[in-house]
Amino acid sequence: MSKNLSELSGRKGIDDNLFERIGNSAQSTGSPSQEELSKIADEFLVGNANTFGTSSFYDFTKSENKGKKIYVCNGSACLCAGTQKNVSDILENHFKSEEIGHMTCLGRCYENSAFHYNGKNYSGRDIDNFSVNTPPKSFSKYVGNIDSNSFLTTPFEGFSEFSALIKKTLSRSPEDLLDEIKKSQIRGRGGAGFPMGLKWESCKNETSSQKFIICNADEGDPGAFSDRFLLEERPYSVLFGMIVAGYITGANRGILYIRAEYPEAVEIVQQAIDSIVKSAILTNTNGFNFVFKIIKAKGAYICGEETALINSIEGQRPEVRTRPPFPTQMGLFNKPTVVNNVETLASVHGIIKKGAEFFSKLGTPKSKGTKLVCLDSFFNNPGLYEVEMGSQLSDLVFKLGGGFKTPIKAMQIGGPLGGIVPVSMINELTIDFESFASHGFLLGHASIVCIPESFPMINYLEHLMEFAAYESCGKCFPCRLGTKRGHELLHSAIHENNKIEHSLFQDLLNTLQQASLCAHGGGIPLPIKNAMYYFENELNAYFKK
Amino acid sequence: MNTAFINNKPYTFNTGESILAFVRRIEGEKSIPTLCDAPNLEAFGSCRVCSVEVAFEKDGKTKTVASCHTPVTTNLHIYHNTNSILELRKNIIELVLTDYPTDLINNKTKEKNELQQVVEAVGIKKIRYPKGANHFRIESDESHPYMRSDFSKCINCFRCIRACDEVQGEMVLSMAGRGFEAHVVKGFNQSFMDSDCVSCGACAQACPTGAISDVFESKNLENAKITRTICTYCGVGCNLEVATLNGKIKSIQAPYNAEVNQGHTCLKGRYAFKFYDHPDRLKTPLIKKDGIFKEVSWNEAYDFISSRLEKIKSENGADAIAGISSARTPNEENYLMQKFMRAVIGTNNIDCCARVCHSPTALGMQKTFGTGAATNSISELEFTDCIFVVGANPTNAHPVTGAKIKQKLMKGTVGIVVDPRKTQLAKYATYHLQLKPGTNVALLNMMLYFIITENMEDKEFIAKYCEGFEEMKNEILRLDISQLEKITGVDKNLVKQAAIAYAKANAAMEFHGLGVTEHYQGTYTVQLLADLAMITGNVGKKGAGVNPLRGQNNVQGAADMGAQPHQGAGYLDVTDASINKKYNQFYGVEVPSNIGYKIPEMFDAAIDGKLKALWVIGEDVVQTDPNTQKVMKALKNLDLLVVSELFMTETAKLATVILPASSFLEKEGTFTNGERRIQRVQKVVEPLENTKPDGQIIVEMMRKMGYNQCDYTAENMLKEISQIVPFFAGVKWDELGINGKQWPVKADGSDTEILHKDGFVRGKGKFYYCEYEESNEVKTNSKDYPYIITTNRELEHYNCGAMTRRTGNVEIVTEDFLLINPTDAEKNYIHDGDLVCVESPRGKVDIKAKITDEVKQGILSSTFHFPEIMLNNITSNEHDSEAMCPEYKVVSCRIRKSRGKNLVV
Repeated sequence: MSKNLSELSGRKGIDDNLFERIGNSAQSTGSPSQEELSKIADEFLVGNANTFGTSSFYDFTKSENKGKKIYVCNGSACLCAGTQKNVSDILENHFKSEEIGHMTCLGRCYENSAFHYNGKNYSGRDIDNFSVNTPPKSFSKYVGNIDSNSFLTTPFEGFSEFSALIKKTLSRSPEDLLDEIKKSQIRGRGGAGFPMGLKWESCKNETSSQKFIICNADEGDPGAFSDRFLLEERPYSVLFGMIVAGYITGANRGILYIRAEYPEAVEIVQQAIDSIVKSAILTNTNGFNFVFKIIKAKGAYICGEETALINSIEGQRPEVRTRPPFPTQMGLFNKPTVVNNVETLASVHGIIKKGAEFFSKLGTPKSKGTKLVCLDSFFNNPGLYEVEMGSQLSDLVFKLGGGFKTPIKAMQIGGPLGGIVPVSMINELTIDFESFASHGFLLGHASIVCIPESFPMINYLEHLMEFAAYESCGKCFPCRLGTKRGHELLHSAIHENNKIEHSLFQDLLNTLQQASLCAHGGGIPLPIKNAMYYFENELNAYFKK
Repeated sequence: MNTAFINNKPYTFNTGESILAFVRRIEGEKSIPTLCDAPNLEAFGSCRVCSVEVAFEKDGKTKTVASCHTPVTTNLHIYHNTNSILELRKNIIELVLTDYPTDLINNKTKEKNELQQVVEAVGIKKIRYPKGANHFRIESDESHPYMRSDFSKCINCFRCIRACDEVQGEMVLSMAGRGFEAHVVKGFNQSFMDSDCVSCGACAQACPTGAISDVFESKNLENAKITRTICTYCGVGCNLEVATLNGKIKSIQAPYNAEVNQGHTCLKGRYAFKFYDHPDRLKTPLIKKDGIFKEVSWNEAYDFISSRLEKIKSENGADAIAGISSARTPNEENYLMQKFMRAVIGTNNIDCCARVCHSPTALGMQKTFGTGAATNSISELEFTDCIFVVGANPTNAHPVTGAKIKQKLMKGTVGIVVDPRKTQLAKYATYHLQLKPGTNVALLNMMLYFIITENMEDKEFIAKYCEGFEEMKNEILRLDISQLEKITGVDKNLVKQAAIAYAKANAAMEFHGLGVTEHYQGTYTVQLLADLAMITGNVGKKGAGVNPLRGQNNVQGAADMGAQPHQGAGYLDVTDASINKKYNQFYGVEVPSNIGYKIPEMFDAAIDGKLKALWVIGEDVVQTDPNTQKVMKALKNLDLLVVSELFMTETAKLATVILPASSFLEKEGTFTNGERRIQRVQKVVEPLENTKPDGQIIVEMMRKMGYNQCDYTAENMLKEISQIVPFFAGVKWDELGINGKQWPVKADGSDTEILHKDGFVRGKGKFYYCEYEESNEVKTNSKDYPYIITTNRELEHYNCGAMTRRTGNVEIVTEDFLLINPTDAEKNYIHDGDLVCVESPRGKVDIKAKITDEVKQGILSSTFHFPEIMLNNITSNEHDSEAMCPEYKVVSCRIRKSRGKNLVV
């Protein structure tokens, strides 16, 4: 979080972007050359160490990525489904093993066998007929219910409805619109549940000639494909939310930071942006201009954390910033910035169209509206559902999801930092922030990855710690060292039969939870503690008192 | 209002204060340990060792936060030493030690680094983790003469990276990789020597473990004596803390509580001290007999000098004797030297190196403002909206100020740089006006023109405080801007934008260096800088002013003390009868009232046979004054040349008598930095055996020649100086404190941060119109010598290099280079590293080419740090028309690829 780097990167603005330049220079070989990095550093007046340090951070720019041609998904859902060994085996017939890399979650959790080749994602049965010349089949239909309460899954009826709603919305005053958002009581869907109206108001209150709206489309949580759905199937909803955010806060630039793992999303959103530009509906409407830009991420889970994401766009290493100052005060290029996640932004058009009151009537006293949830391939009806906040978890699992295909012992709900919910707790939970928190879980984005009976819990924990260690930004001591040591302890317990000292492991989890700088290190103990509580008997063998 | 609680006790906090700062202020530095926080860096929050618990009510629900980056809020309850927090700190440190190569718990190596102290403070007993992945095998880096790294000891606190970024602004260091694999790299994971490191040592000072350190192991010293003193290497005046063991200097660090440098300094200040006991030091007085120096005793030397001086004085008069005092020596010694010349010899033939650097500044600012010194203070950079740098390259020549300016420019403060070279600051500035050397006056007139035609003058300020505006304005409005555009080679629209930016700023700060003064029109350029500050109302307020970057460490002081031929101590006019009377009374003898020789006039007089004796203190005029051959001819023509020196310089070689003097590390006194700050130089070590501080030498000579001068101590001398120099009235040795005082210091001891606060010292600020005139050098020679070479400085070396060439710096920059534009190089078949013969009407030198777009076509640039090159063989006799400062910055020359070895004609 170098203020100097933020400013120097900001001098060129978002259009000649340091991060993009580093990313582009990696395109031909998988990792940029020193000459290229040095040239970029000179141009942006930063150090060679800075361009080098940045490129060494990301999966798809670091030197280890040189020569990789195809990437196999190693997300939790594909892991539990057990499909990926077969995928790798088949791909080894087509590629040298050093040409095969990994990507973490391509968002195909409902059918698995996911991999990425040449800018396209493959899943399900694609692997059976794979050849370098066969494009992926259009993927299975995975959207569940759409009903009268739907906000997020309802599409615009063509571009005309979108532009009409934009026109109507921009004829209202920013204050009036902010009031509407605040009245809806919508909370961010990114995990922390922060009231969106307050965030926007805080940015609006800042005086600055430049402000930014960022759509955080880098949520790489294994198991969650709701963002991918919204970007690919409802791009106008997402863009609408950003426009309103810009109009209210006084920002005129909107940036979508989209995962490299979602290449189709990038294309589709760009097409939607192009249509908006062509229609000129955002050119000087009541003095308001709004220009979009997509930044393609380069493979780092931590960029889902908003300050890491801001650093990333600036071309800095995506290490988490301290707060305060908050992004709304000092964000991208040190300017006031709103970062909202895809689902949060996609809710806005529903609130504006149907009114705050309609939205706030849905859900519980503290969790309003609806929520997208994703069910993985262990469900009889896998896919994406929009449910009212406060719905019974059991209804989702059994009525909508149709129950499990094979025996399941637990579900990890809300991503790798979400809780591990044993099946015995299904009837206790409703889908809202409070119910999950009060039972010692976390709603997060509410996607569900099933852990089958046959899958050893200790292996799942090892997978989680390994993921946490691999994706740690490395800035704060507890997370950088703690996730690594945690993974080593679990690995050694499984593979070398070294029992873990129980009190040490508890100390480690407490240290991560209490002292980590962000929710990455701070969050990983939650599912592990859940597992140690609910699956004590199964895990006992690996621990000593 | 601002009440918060520490362990349930109420205290008042400062708005914006972090919990860490708050608790430490109340309960002491050791109350909360930390590893990533440092006094001169922004809060970062990586180590989490400073975690505390907070609640919004007494014994309420607590939350753990890192105290370094969490601000205190009203009624916050802070609990910083609960059991849970103490355990947490132990657990974090335990994790740190799993990847640390030495056993700090049962510390057998007795490492005394900060990590060790934190380990002891948190009281950890054992590491429970089994052996895991680690970084113990990283090789250490010994590539560099000063910098060292051993990253097996790195704990990833980021302090070094932040110091390189936030303090020096160099960004040589970064992390690479992520998670557990994250590791500090230099450049592209290179060695210090191969990276762009400028060896400032900020990283080494910041490191809590020794992962980055230096050859002097600055932080591993036990029982060292620490002496605080002032750096000798430039006018910034960095405070240094010098560690000595058994009378030997071990290392130097920069104190965080120094107002001038806040824990920072450059490689000269921090590392280039080893000259002080270098075997080359002169250790005994020498008298040349039959062309060979013979060792003599001090008494013999004094006898010899005094008898020769008496003889010359009686035969040729006092004005056949002259002195050149040293801007590297303290105020007290400069005062004594001018007193010796005036009161003992009886001549005003006294000058100092200010002549060849900032004499136009002193004159120009005296004429316009009434005082020849910086109007403001460097710390006011914090309050400025626009930084206007003219003819100065502070990142090389004034590195700490340069770094501060760079920090501001990087963070978006408007920067205007006027320089023929693309200096580092020019790269970061908003506007770089890359003019042809020698056209400053034309360019600044363009700026005045645009400010006037855009109606952006500060009319109120001008009416209230200034005179001569209308006359100047009328002349300016007559200028042909297109013609000036052609002369300067700078797009007039760019000049216009820069002029508007300067005029628009609430407070704009001017800095200038020798690129202003060392010109035919040097004084006029200074007057125009003053015009620009006045026309925009940028005088007498915070974050504004005209601020010359003084070159040598005490060049301000040397002039203040009267080491100049027209003004005595305190800038008092020697020709004024009443002042003359005052001096006569004070010194107890008759002092002369005719203006003496300036340095260039001394050389002319020597050649003419009118000057017979010259005493030069600490100045290598042969190597550093222009037109070497002429200087040598002059010195050789003297009957007596006395040189007080540390080393056998090119000038010393020509001496009749050499007096071995002591270095700044071996004496006491005061240096006055470029912002008029009088700071204490303290004796760090005893003078090398048989050498003497210049002050003592002069006092002994005065006594030898019959003048009763008191013993040399800083205290004694300041007592005397404060009685004759008006702006030193309240300066007392033991009241200067650690950060000194900025003159004028009133009798009550109060000092002055900003000059001309309520009107100008001269009464009204005076506007001058100065017309551009092409330098004679170019007018006369451009036909046969079409290139212009302009001289500059390297970061690593200081002036003639007598000191820095005898330190590790010489391994970093090994010789002088010729900067040449790629097109010019190609035209002349010159490749990078080729020897180029540069020839002027005075002579020629061979010098290695460095091809760079730092200079435009037709322009060359080089340094004169190395006697092997003697670049001043080609510089001219041209000088500033008013102050006689030589024109080092515009030298006509021609070039060709050299046929071979270095030639000195």
